[in-house]
Amino acid sequence: MNRAKSFCVVFYFVLSSAFSQNKQLLFGFTDIPQSILLNPSTTLANNGFIGIPLLSKNHFSFGASGVSAYDIFINDGVDFNTKLRNAVFNLDRNDFFTLNQQTDIFSGGFAFGSGIEKDSYLSFGMYVETDAIAYYPEDYAILALEGNANKTGRVFDLSDLNASGEMISVFHFGIGKKINEQLNIGSRIKLYSSVFNFNSTDNSGSFITREGENNLLEHSFNLDLSLQTSGFSDLNNNANSNSSEAIKALRKRLLFGGNMGLGLDFGFTYNPSAQLTVEGSVLDIGFIRHSKGLQNYALRGSYTYEGFNPLFSEVDGGQTPEAYWNEIADEFEELFNIDATASKYTTWRPIKLNLAARYKFGKRQSEKCNCLADDEGYVNAVGGQLFAINRPRAPQLALTAFYYRRLFKGLRAKVTYTIDSFSYTNVGLGVSAYLGPANFYLLADNIIEYQNIAKARSISIQFGLNLVLGRAQKQ
Amino acid sequence: MLFKKAIVLILFGALATSLSCISDVDFNQADELLLAPVIESSIIHTEQAASHFLENGNELVVVRDSIGNIEIFEDEFVINNLIRAELFFEVTNSINRSFSLQLNFLDENEEVQHTLTFDADASPNGNDIITNYEENFEDDSLNALKTTRIIAVEIRLNPSDDGSMLDENSMGRVLLQSKGVFYLEIGT
Repeated sequence: MNRAKSFCVVFYFVLSSAFSQNKQLLFGFTDIPQSILLNPSTTLANNGFIGIPLLSKNHFSFGASGVSAYDIFINDGVDFNTKLRNAVFNLDRNDFFTLNQQTDIFSGGFAFGSGIEKDSYLSFGMYVETDAIAYYPEDYAILALEGNANKTGRVFDLSDLNASGEMISVFHFGIGKKINEQLNIGSRIKLYSSVFNFNSTDNSGSFITREGENNLLEHSFNLDLSLQTSGFSDLNNNANSNSSEAIKALRKRLLFGGNMGLGLDFGFTYNPSAQLTVEGSVLDIGFIRHSKGLQNYALRGSYTYEGFNPLFSEVDGGQTPEAYWNEIADEFEELFNIDATASKYTTWRPIKLNLAARYKFGKRQSEKCNCLADDEGYVNAVGGQLFAINRPRAPQLALTAFYYRRLFKGLRAKVTYTIDSFSYTNVGLGVSAYLGPANFYLLADNIIEYQNIAKARSISIQFGLNLVLGRAQKQ
Repeated sequence: MLFKKAIVLILFGALATSLSCISDVDFNQADELLLAPVIESSIIHTEQAASHFLENGNELVVVRDSIGNIEIFEDEFVINNLIRAELFFEVTNSINRSFSLQLNFLDENEEVQHTLTFDADASPNGNDIITNYEENFEDDSLNALKTTRIIAVEIRLNPSDDGSMLDENSMGRVLLQSKGVFYLEIGT
């Protein structure tokens, strides 16, 4: 009971604070300083900002394509295992579960440049990111749920096991620059320190039961499975001896004592007219080299088994019956023997692509002079966005349509409608509010599902608090 | 202005949090989780030519041997989760004699805990005669099966109806094939 309750609470927490890797609300929402992390060419309309440490950006995410907690845990009197099977049989090997979390440790930025109009923007900061993805291991699940009986000839594809995850800290430093009145470009350099990593994305092999040559059935095993990990082995050792040692080790790795890597972001913002903007960015073109705290496992081999011959005669193979029997036992032992190594490996960060086109329109009329209040710029914007992320099996895509509106002075809102792998009904709503120099923002994804979070396949809230200096009113 | 902002923020917060709830779900159902895979596996097979039942020109009444060191039923997982087993045998005989087949399941003290026996029909004209036999292991017989460490197999040559004997020119062979179907129930 308690376990189930705590599971429920954790699940609720994860879902209610979730944010998927796609940050469609934040992208292009330039009133929020953190939007610069999604496109380094963004020139924020301020002289500088300081993120409130640990509060400037917080998001957690959970997503499951093809299934929700509601599908499995609905209290409808139907047998739980029936619901589980129905849910599971609706999934296929390309369905996946993702988890992403990002917390700013510190962040800041300022405009600079020669002349009166500062034409460059420098931003920097450090954040901790956790990212994991697991594909639904379809054939493994079918084996576990149904076994291999009455499945003669069916190939169980062992490449269905595909999962990876990591926790990293990232120190970054980016510059955006105005090239001319129409074009801004920018880039950001990132230094990664991996706290831990696991990677099992390069699996292959099969298990087949078919009609045998010498027996009714034969079972063919062909295994090529591997798991690479870094950062777990020494953590385990530390945890066994002293938990404060483990915390120390973690802290050290967060502060760039872990496995190091390097990455780059690029972005552009192009304004062909005063009302039209096209922008794009490529984020996390980078790698991490894992050379410390390694524990790798491999399961490789092939064997075809069709039972054993109890009336084995020495004449048949020149073997004693015992040697024959031991040979079969050895074959199996060898087949399922896990090789442990500590060889270095390199992982690539999931590359993200953002593209957007937006059209601004509608100027507010001044009450005083019955003319356009020119200094305030356009009130509305509509547009479309494309998001793509490179994942182990195939890129994942999301398409967003949005409407942006300046409600009153300092209060801005953005509504998004997104189609992605999780659902076709993702409506998001975000607001950014300025109270003096303080900027507060709250972005929530998949708000339709808030009436019953259990039904949501992905859902999110993101919030942050910044101090913004010299904010221009016009943008 | 500040008031309006506050209203919008409160409304938004309400939308984001107050409306959110989990209803109609019961996570305690996870306790009912039960996996019920059915595993099919080859077990034993053997082929004996008619000549194997001769020694120095005389008929051997029985050919027997055993498989020891069976470890599968030492596994806690198997002991706890195996709820039923079926063993299927298929004998293909082209010898003009019938056979009795017997499997003895012995425990670690080499004591017989379970025995199964069945006959395979003779093949008067040398064609393959197929005999099937299956045995279901539940309750007591399943418990006996779970103590198995050794399987002893006997193929016994039954006397012919007409008194004829096998000799070096006798044709045919007896082929034994088998599989097991193991029903598991894995709960939480």
